[in-house]
Amino acid sequence: MAVVTGLIAMVTPETKREGASMWTFARMHAEMYGPELEAWNQQQTDPSRRVNLSLIGVQAMEQRMMSAFLAGLPSADLIEAERRNAARAFAGPLESVGFLDLTPYIERDGLMNKVNKASFLPWSKDGRIFGLPHDVHPMMMAYRADIVEAAGIDVNEIETWDDFERVMRLLLYKPDGTRRTDRYLLNMWETQIDLIEAVLLQAGGGVIDASGVPVIDSEVNARTISRIAMWTSGPEPIAAEVSFWDATGHQLMRDGFVIATFAPDWMCNYWRKEVPQLAGKMKLMPMPAWEKGGRRTSVWGGTMLGIPKTAQDPEKLWEIAKHLYLSRELAHELYTKSDIVTPVREFWSDDIYDQPDPFFMGQPKGRMYINLAPDVPDRFSSPFGAIALARTQGAVSQLCAYARDVKPQREEDLLPKAREFLAAAQRDAMRHVNRNVFFAARDSSEQSSDAAAEVTR
Amino acid sequence: MILPDRSRSVFPWLLLAPFLILVALFTITPLFGAAVLSTQQTFGPGTTRFVGLSNFKNVLADPLFWTAFKNTLIFTLGSVLVQLPLALMFAMLLNQPGVRARSFFRLVLFSPVLVGVVYVAMIFFVLFQKRTGLVNQLLHGIFPSWDIGFAWLDQYIMVALILATLWQYMGFNMVYFLAALQNVPKELDEAARIDGASWWKRFRHVTLPAITPVGSFVVLLSIIGSVQVFELPYLLLQGSTGVDNKGLTIVGYLYQTGFQSGDLGYASAIGWTIAIVLAACAVLQRMLSGRTEQQRGVKRATRGGDA
Repeated sequence: MAVVTGLIAMVTPETKREGASMWTFARMHAEMYGPELEAWNQQQTDPSRRVNLSLIGVQAMEQRMMSAFLAGLPSADLIEAERRNAARAFAGPLESVGFLDLTPYIERDGLMNKVNKASFLPWSKDGRIFGLPHDVHPMMMAYRADIVEAAGIDVNEIETWDDFERVMRLLLYKPDGTRRTDRYLLNMWETQIDLIEAVLLQAGGGVIDASGVPVIDSEVNARTISRIAMWTSGPEPIAAEVSFWDATGHQLMRDGFVIATFAPDWMCNYWRKEVPQLAGKMKLMPMPAWEKGGRRTSVWGGTMLGIPKTAQDPEKLWEIAKHLYLSRELAHELYTKSDIVTPVREFWSDDIYDQPDPFFMGQPKGRMYINLAPDVPDRFSSPFGAIALARTQGAVSQLCAYARDVKPQREEDLLPKAREFLAAAQRDAMRHVNRNVFFAARDSSEQSSDAAAEVTR
Repeated sequence: MILPDRSRSVFPWLLLAPFLILVALFTITPLFGAAVLSTQQTFGPGTTRFVGLSNFKNVLADPLFWTAFKNTLIFTLGSVLVQLPLALMFAMLLNQPGVRARSFFRLVLFSPVLVGVVYVAMIFFVLFQKRTGLVNQLLHGIFPSWDIGFAWLDQYIMVALILATLWQYMGFNMVYFLAALQNVPKELDEAARIDGASWWKRFRHVTLPAITPVGSFVVLLSIIGSVQVFELPYLLLQGSTGVDNKGLTIVGYLYQTGFQSGDLGYASAIGWTIAIVLAACAVLQRMLSGRTEQQRGVKRATRGGDA
């Protein structure tokens, strides 16, 4: 069978459509780009400047992209990749990254000052930028305003996580003082690594430093995961799991099983479509900070547009990429159709972001996200990012299991164990770093840290 | 037609050629390719550096590999020690004379194997959900103190995996045992019965020796299948390795390093380590079944001498 199909594939002529090919993984993006690209194609007198868009499942796209990159074969001319998928392309040595280095184009067109700088970081490696950022994805807390306000709680009293726990706690109890089993304050659980990462970043921690090396065992991470363990597994847990992606989770959201949940801008659109029953019941507020005056936001997710090295005529493709990601019309459409805030800072003052959103009880949602966008924490790409996150999640799970066993009264009781588990996770992650000959070679040139700092500047 | 001597020596090779070419292309070549790769650190096939045996050294010192090994061992033991006795039990029940609708029950028990692993994973993913899963709902219904939020897929993923595999493959192994049981000489069993042997003695001294060759083959198949388990945990845990890597298996770790981290060299070293473990199991199985055969031969010879 393999021989026969191989022969058929060999003799079948390749059908090549005129113009550039573009892959995207998100239906929402494809729906948005479709009419825009149609208009663009109609304007082009040169057929080679037209763009053919394909919507491909995220995993299929990752496999096709990576197979092409690793084998040095052509793929699409433009690839829109999600953070986790794109990260795989940055895992090897700099010269083996399959995307074209866009740094000269970005510098030439002055985009470093135009686009939110933190948005470049996930697509950067050793100071070189390989993708045009699609978004910022600031994070807020979405809460069940109908329940909170009915209980007479004023969320303006909440500035820190301590405030959050103190002010919201009364929602956990019935009028007779007994603990409710059908309500928690926070949607958070020990295996949700995206949320754990977001919370660590918000607290000023994180798992990867600017040079791409794991920094799992920092004191701030130890303190943060101790709090997470208290929330989810302490003697009086305030957090529970409500899956974002399935019907069970949606039902629990409707039931008010959790009061507050982490909400990056893109999540608003997801709820709007998947749980419309929540319309008019939820409001947004900045995330509580870890200390007074601290950061009130974090970040989750991200998408970039890259040009594979094998693509023909990068200049032409760069023009298309800029049109899709940096034009005002598409930035507005991005917000109206998907609730996502553009990374182009000069559009942030546009009126469209001030419009009240009925889903969130008339709040000017766009403006609220934009106010937080400059504070979004930096995230650095690294070949060890996935390993570091997995090990950190393992440490969180170990700490949660420990908390369930010992039933600590205070977060501080968990700190020694948190340090111990994180140190073990760090050692394990460093074993991967130390055995990676490509990284060692790069590290010896001592470029990485300075280069990452360069992008941040 | 009588073939000339020369043709007679070439003809069998011609018949074997398609098989040999395919095996050489798709089995032997990748095997040697993986051996070469296991001495390199790679980022895809294009970027490689020779690292000697350090991949193997790292694999053996890698706590995650040992976690995966331990998990796989638990799964293998669970599968073999739970699934096979149950398969044998059902085979014996169906082999009883006078069982009605034997074919129907055989089909019912065998049918889960016809369902793909993806479907099994989807079914068990729903069954083992925390609050809404049927397993927790049922247990909570029977035992009100049962925690409806019991995290099967977090803390007890191996139990969930063993149960899912049991459901899927028990009937498959039962068919092997049933075939073996139907070949047990009836006269031996009858003779033992007439001599007043109990059920257990007849099973121990007549049935079990007769089905041992098939039994050891089924054990070997189960061990190989269990060591290679990948799809079920991958799907049940939705691509993750579970809480504290409780769902990480050896092949899962191989996939993670080879296809997610792009280090095909390290993945090849893991692959070769699995191959060596499996080969050791096969040799052990051959030795054990060889010894059993030998013992039986000695017993037969002794009895013959006595006579």
